[in-house]
Amino acid sequence: MLLSQALHLTSMLLASASFIGLTLGAGLPEWLAAVTGATLIAVLLRNMGMKPVDRLTTQMPVSAVGWNLIVLGGFVGFWIDLLWVSGDLLPAGLHFLMILMVIKLFNLRLRRDYLHLYAISLVAMLASGSLTTDLWFFPIFSIYLLAGVWTLLLFQLTKTSEVSGDVWMSAHIRHTSHEENHRVSPRLFWIANGLALGAFLITVVIFFTIPRVNAGIYQKGFGENLRMSGFSDKVNLGAIGSIKRDPSIVMRVELPRSPLHDARPLYIRGVSFDQYDGKVWTNQLSYRRSLIEESPGTFTFRGKRAVSRSQLGEAMHQKILLEPLDTPVLFAAPFIESVTGLFPSLFFDATGAVYLPFPSSSRIEYTVVSRATVLVPADLGSEPGPYPEWVVRQYLQLPLQSDRITALAGEVTQKHYRPYEKATAIQTYLTSQYRYSLDAPLAEQHQPLEEFLFERKTGYCEHYATAMVIMLRTVGVPARLVTGFMATEWNEYGHYYVVRQQDAHAWVEVYLPHSGWIRMDPTPTEDNPPAGGPVWKVLGLIVDNIKLQWNRLFVQYSAADQLAVVRELKAEGMSVRNKALDSMTLLFGAFLTVLSGIVPHNVSQVRIGVLGELLGVAVIGLAVLFWLRRSRPWVARSLWEKGRGHELVIAQYYRRMRTYLTGQGFSNSTAIAPLELVEITHARWREAYTAVASITEVYCRTRFGHLPLTPEDLKHTEDQLRHLLELRKPQA
Amino acid sequence: MPFQLPTFAHRVIRYRSTRITSEGLQFLIFVLAIGIAAINTGNNLFYLLLAMMLSLILVSGIAAEYCLRRLGVRRHLPDLLFVNTPVTTSLVVKNRKSRLTSFSLTLSDVRDNQFLSPNMELHSIPPGASRVLSYQLTPTRRGKLLLNGVRISTEFPFGLFTKRAFYPIEDTLVVCPELQPVNDRLLRGLFAAGYEQAVHRRGHGSDLYNLRLYQAGDDSRSIHWPTTARTSQLTIRETEAEEQRRAIICVPTSVPMSHDASFERAVSLAASLVQHLTRHSYSIQLRLGSERSSFGQGEAHGLDLLRMLGLCERITPTAQSEMKQDQWADAHSELGGGGTAVVIQAWSDSVGETELPWIRIDGALIPGGAHVA
Repeated sequence: MLLSQALHLTSMLLASASFIGLTLGAGLPEWLAAVTGATLIAVLLRNMGMKPVDRLTTQMPVSAVGWNLIVLGGFVGFWIDLLWVSGDLLPAGLHFLMILMVIKLFNLRLRRDYLHLYAISLVAMLASGSLTTDLWFFPIFSIYLLAGVWTLLLFQLTKTSEVSGDVWMSAHIRHTSHEENHRVSPRLFWIANGLALGAFLITVVIFFTIPRVNAGIYQKGFGENLRMSGFSDKVNLGAIGSIKRDPSIVMRVELPRSPLHDARPLYIRGVSFDQYDGKVWTNQLSYRRSLIEESPGTFTFRGKRAVSRSQLGEAMHQKILLEPLDTPVLFAAPFIESVTGLFPSLFFDATGAVYLPFPSSSRIEYTVVSRATVLVPADLGSEPGPYPEWVVRQYLQLPLQSDRITALAGEVTQKHYRPYEKATAIQTYLTSQYRYSLDAPLAEQHQPLEEFLFERKTGYCEHYATAMVIMLRTVGVPARLVTGFMATEWNEYGHYYVVRQQDAHAWVEVYLPHSGWIRMDPTPTEDNPPAGGPVWKVLGLIVDNIKLQWNRLFVQYSAADQLAVVRELKAEGMSVRNKALDSMTLLFGAFLTVLSGIVPHNVSQVRIGVLGELLGVAVIGLAVLFWLRRSRPWVARSLWEKGRGHELVIAQYYRRMRTYLTGQGFSNSTAIAPLELVEITHARWREAYTAVASITEVYCRTRFGHLPLTPEDLKHTEDQLRHLLELRKPQA
Repeated sequence: MPFQLPTFAHRVIRYRSTRITSEGLQFLIFVLAIGIAAINTGNNLFYLLLAMMLSLILVSGIAAEYCLRRLGVRRHLPDLLFVNTPVTTSLVVKNRKSRLTSFSLTLSDVRDNQFLSPNMELHSIPPGASRVLSYQLTPTRRGKLLLNGVRISTEFPFGLFTKRAFYPIEDTLVVCPELQPVNDRLLRGLFAAGYEQAVHRRGHGSDLYNLRLYQAGDDSRSIHWPTTARTSQLTIRETEAEEQRRAIICVPTSVPMSHDASFERAVSLAASLVQHLTRHSYSIQLRLGSERSSFGQGEAHGLDLLRMLGLCERITPTAQSEMKQDQWADAHSELGGGGTAVVIQAWSDSVGETELPWIRIDGALIPGGAHVA
């Protein structure tokens, strides 16, 4: 392929990569995306020699002035777009950018036009990077990098070939040379790809090492936040049902210090509700106070609250990557003790829910330490004990309801005395007697709870949890409804839980006098098997893991990560140094023993470290000196010394030729000069003359003229020798 | 010496330089803009694009360095150059790398950090291969011409920067004065003076002087066999003494600075005369101020004299030097009437103000003898 053709092709690829990136990120209007895409395809086809397209594009009745007018029109359109259509600078600017790209694609005549196209594509990539953080950006970026390297390389080479020409070269040689120069040779192909690979690797290194001067707390996102239900101060019964069919990923949860997945679902708590009016749950304790920032980025609860919790269950560490949501609730396993992340501040309410100052518009990553309550044996004893006053006041509220619920609750718990037993009985009753179904339009019912308990007997988590809370309160056991997520999808490739919208869940927290709030879940398991075959599921898990790594390594990479890497390296360095010192001590033990007899003990101990460091420096220095001595980079090498290899090869061929000619009756005398031998051959064996002359010519040129041999020369000589060896001299 | 690190560093630092191209400038402006955007927003994808552009700069530097490394350059020049006479200079470039091709090379010969030749472009040199480039070198002044080396530059791979490497190949050449056809009047004057002073006599030489009968003691190698055969008498061939073809060319070098151009013309005229007389087998001695060559004949001697003329320098006249201005008498006495003394004077109080040198052949002023029209 000609260099100019290749340049055109890679330029198109460059423009296409940026266009696709912008289209995926910005959601360009369909008409604009279609026009730009069609233009790219048309220009590409024209370059590939499609006659009709070429005719169509070259016969466009638009002059240079016409194109300028179109640019002006596009500029006017940009203002109209800015003021009346989009009403925002960024979309209007992007639309104008695409129009400019289309115009430039039709006007790729001068080298300057190509430069303009590259500038437009770079701005488009920049805009794409500002509009998205999705995984697809990475392949687009990689293609852009590859195309960019090729394009810049070809742009430079075509510039050279336009002005070059070996002066004084004969016409034939010059023609051949230029033919080669204008084509993409295999050597150039591999060099370009090698450069692209090198650039990619260096890009990654620079990306991770470049100091993050201002790593934003929240990146400005342009995508829409996921719409959530059930995580505000007021929730209608059945509100969670609307999101139970949505497979969008809400968060990913790693459990760094826990053993690998044990198949148990992970409950991720959001908010809890204490008041129910028959249709709507509300949180009356929603007054928020700020968490204490114990150390930079680490927030804890105040005072005794944290201390009392620390005496309970085991601590659970979680690393959570939360997608942008339309709620400020910070999710974590119950109950949160501390949160670490890049937050300006955090808040909590009396129910233990933790909140951001405002909903995040981009992904956030944070680490949480939680500690679940455990059932204390005292609550299983004969004397359960009294409830605190604030619990009785807040968590025994009941709505106006029919007596049927009271009767049912009494009936279910009549054989049980202790609160925990009553709770267990109600949980068992609901789990066994009712069926899980998302097809339950109970939100529109006048009395949804009664409808669920006595009529339909099907529902989903909210109905079960509400029923259990109300029934418990009816029999005098304090309880509250909690909304959050129940994570069951374990990604074994990335070792984390994938939490989706459809994992939204509601459950119950029961207050026991000694244990405190205990989690109970009355919702039976879902009958419906998960959609999709096993292959797709595995693929989905792998892709999701890649997404997570992309997000963690590239999108969320911050100055804190850089510091962590530096600390890790420092620690590793110290470890290596200590090991080296230990080895040194072992090696020089005898010497030290002698030394300790001469100098004070503490002096010898201190000096060993210095000695080791000096020795290390000396070893490295010696290695450098050895390398310099070996490679002698300062020595200007003789120009033609590398030609020795060729000389040896061609001398070997020449010797074989002479030996063969001797065998055919020619004299082997060293007095016969090479060219003399050629003459003798010409006189005595005409058939062999061409081969002998050819081999001798190359031999003389290399051996005495010190001219370098090309691979073609060597091959030609080989062929001639082979041809000669096949000949037999006729007997005289 | 085990190693010479300072020399190595000196090579690296002195012989490499980098300049930015116009495309590179635009590229750097984009890098700056994206860098500011990345710092301002903290957007990691901006940092990724920034890293990509920085990596392209880095790759550019590394690839250009590899492109310029391990090239061998050799220059081919004639031994003697003449002012305003173009000569073909060849540069042979060899890529001594074992694997990597060198792309987009631009070569130029360098003298005193100034480009002596036009830029010569080379698209590529495969590993182990060599290319020959030639250009016309036309010296403009006589004297020593010092060629420092060859500067090789490349914009490979991305055209963002021009990286230059300097390969020191020092060549010192002597540029002789310009040779021009000798004026007819001068030639006539020269030969007229020669005939007036010619005293035909026997001696060693090649031209025939006389034929006479053999006498005892004559060298048998001098017998002229055709005449001997024709007359049946041993006849001896006598040759004309060659001393009569001797010439001394004097060029006084004590010339004021105001007559520098005239001095250069005088030197050029002397060179033209040397060349002319050498062709006519004269035995020539050249006197440049106080410097004297030996008498000699032939091409090699002629070239030596031309080299002398190429290197001679004008000196500012002093009272002592002015006393020696009239060199004809001295030369004439040395020739003893057996040769021609030519004095080419760029300046003299007696001659007066003139732009052209004056020529005295055997003391006689040749009017209009200056060869420069």
